[in-house]
Amino acid sequence: MEKIILIVPMIPVLSALLTQLFSARLAHDSARISITGSLLTFLVSVATLWFALSSPGSHTVSLPDTPALLLLDPLSSLMATVIAGISLIVHIYSRRYMADEAGYCRFFILLDLMTAALLVMVAAGDLLTLLIAWHLVGVLLYFLLGHNTRDTSAWRYAFWTKITYRLGDLPLVIAAVLLYQAYGSWSLPVIFEQMMAQPDAHRVLGLRLPDVVAALIAFSAYARSAQFFVHTWLPYTMSGPTPVSALMHAGIVNAGGFIINRFAPVFVQSSDVLHWVFIVGLFTAVIGSVLMLTQNDIKKSLGYSTMGQMGFMIMECGIGAFSLAIYHLIAHGLFKGTMFLGAGSVINGARKNDGVPKDDLYTFVVERKPARQRLPWLTMAAVTLAVPVFILVSAHWLISQDYFQKQSAVVLLFFGWITGAQLIFSTYKMGTQNMRRMVILAIVSFAVVVLGYTLISHAFDLFLYPDPVFREQLYAAADIHIIWFDALIVLITLIIIFGWFITFLAGRDGGRKNRYASSLWLMFYALTSREFYLPHLYTLMTRRLLRLAERLNIWLRWI
Amino acid sequence: MTEAAFLLLTGLFLPLFPVSMLFNWLLGRTGNHLLRALLLLLWPQAGLLLLQNLAFQVPEWSLTLALATSALYAFRVLAIRDIGQWCGFLATSSWAMLWIPVHADIPMFHVQLYALGFSVPLVLLAFLGSGLEQRFGAACTGLYGGLAESIPRFSTILVLVVLAIIATPLFPSFFIMTAMLLQAMSAMPALAVGIAGVWLLWSWAGAWLLQGLIIGIPGEERPADLHAGATWGYVSILGLLIMAGIVGTGLLS
Repeated sequence: MEKIILIVPMIPVLSALLTQLFSARLAHDSARISITGSLLTFLVSVATLWFALSSPGSHTVSLPDTPALLLLDPLSSLMATVIAGISLIVHIYSRRYMADEAGYCRFFILLDLMTAALLVMVAAGDLLTLLIAWHLVGVLLYFLLGHNTRDTSAWRYAFWTKITYRLGDLPLVIAAVLLYQAYGSWSLPVIFEQMMAQPDAHRVLGLRLPDVVAALIAFSAYARSAQFFVHTWLPYTMSGPTPVSALMHAGIVNAGGFIINRFAPVFVQSSDVLHWVFIVGLFTAVIGSVLMLTQNDIKKSLGYSTMGQMGFMIMECGIGAFSLAIYHLIAHGLFKGTMFLGAGSVINGARKNDGVPKDDLYTFVVERKPARQRLPWLTMAAVTLAVPVFILVSAHWLISQDYFQKQSAVVLLFFGWITGAQLIFSTYKMGTQNMRRMVILAIVSFAVVVLGYTLISHAFDLFLYPDPVFREQLYAAADIHIIWFDALIVLITLIIIFGWFITFLAGRDGGRKNRYASSLWLMFYALTSREFYLPHLYTLMTRRLLRLAERLNIWLRWI
Repeated sequence: MTEAAFLLLTGLFLPLFPVSMLFNWLLGRTGNHLLRALLLLLWPQAGLLLLQNLAFQVPEWSLTLALATSALYAFRVLAIRDIGQWCGFLATSSWAMLWIPVHADIPMFHVQLYALGFSVPLVLLAFLGSGLEQRFGAACTGLYGGLAESIPRFSTILVLVVLAIIATPLFPSFFIMTAMLLQAMSAMPALAVGIAGVWLLWSWAGAWLLQGLIIGIPGEERPADLHAGATWGYVSILGLLIMAGIVGTGLLS
């Protein structure tokens, strides 16, 4: 039964071949082959998920006459189902959306091959297969983004993507080579087993092997998941076809979270790498969100929104909440995919009728009528700070009574509290006419989200990492010294409270601004609206490098 | 003295800078595309034959010089627009890497296969380059664009051939590069980082070459596309290369 995992990537490959074969005869109808293949892939993926649920554990299937292995485990079956599901939706959507585009059949072939590469990537049970699929995803994405061969701008940014992906491929290759050299096997289960038994058995340049490998894998994940400094490709690749953007934002960009989960046994044995992962993720989440808010191009703004979400996902890995990162990437994938695929029809519909009912919400959001009466400030401050804490504590108490013992849970609670408090605070600041109703709505939606998030992520934890000892090890690997931890929490709390206080003061002064604060704010705005000049810097560096190569060629007489 | 002369001669065929310049000079002067193909196929094999008959140990510094040569040509190829020159520079960059398996005492037959794995896609590109010369009078990037639209079959083959050259899976060059990384890691871990850097430059150069040819709005003239026989010929060779690559994974175990 476990051999079913072999069929999953084979269907889209076969579908791509058949689409190519019949493209001349069937013309646009050949897309039906691709869609049927996609549907079959999804159904078989669901069957693998069913198998993983009914027969716990990891099952390996080897490809005849090669060292290639495929894994049928909770992670691969879950990811395969998500990928196949998103791919099916994108296929169906593209049938009509791409109908007037040149290279219609080529598009479906590339889409099938991309699906196959992603499926192999999540099911790879050996390092070589993983490297092949990982590399191919980047190559196929390059051609999908540049589908319109007349659009030089789309190709320019597809090139940025390709180079960033290649930059991320290479640390993974080096990590794979180091692991093979140390353990004499490409098989992931064999490597993990040996590493868990003797984590300190090998060293590279005087450093522990798990530390070096985990750091290299983290670098690979950063490039794939657009973390700060290697993120510029993401907001600029909107010139590609919309279905590709949907697939990219819903699936491909999540590869960073997946690869960290796949190598969880390595991260468990590493010492400080997860702390760096947390810092990079946190930094990316903040920067991505700030850049999203300051862009006036809606597409770029969406790109930065994905970057921020990827930051959160990587940050979750950094605190040891690996399964939460998987839940996050699935939830974000579905949400962002829907946004991309639905944007066109929403815009089209809004041109005819904006569809906004002229109710209380309309007068609040659009007409911005001032509040008739405001709730006392002190009461609101108490509600803002206390209610999120109560909701978060209750939700977590439902699943575990000792969660305050785990640093990761405290960090998540902290972020949840900040988010909840910010939500209620913003609602209060907006000054709606029916304040009570709005605050209650905000609290109820927050409670639903927190409960859903807590319960589902707990279920993911049990499914993906059924061994409680390993789960504990994952969280423990991300822990820092308790004094540092408490100091950091206090520091960040003070910074946030200070921020709220400044916002309150700014609101109370009725918009009167301090000259220095204004110029500082303008400088910051100029920096963020120009994306910290990073795209300019990278373009400049590229030009300089090309000029240097040309100069060298001239000196060496072009031979 | 004899050792130095012998090494110099070997460095000519398994390119080591600066004697590597002679090969590129020769390739540039060779107008006939069959001769070019022969040069691309046989040049590194001659170097490996010379190495087989070497009576002394290859000095350690040749490994560093080989990687430097490979990196130099991989970097210089970024500014190359002529396909013939591009082939020569990429050949120099990839063949220089052959010093790594030589140092790692890999059986000579395997190294000869590595050389072949690098050379065959370059030969295909040389033929495609001559096809472009026949159609447009020159084989240069940036001169005429839109080949994807004007000659789609030719473009598809061009894309696949360039992917084979820049070591994309499942082509043999991918497995050769992985094997070389393994060998370099055993000899000198820092060398592996250098190889990875060269690999990155190849990807950059390959994408640059493709973008200068296949994208854009095609001109009014519609040249003849690759005919079916030639297409099948190229597809068969590329298919064989992929099969060789998959079989070659056995060499990595």
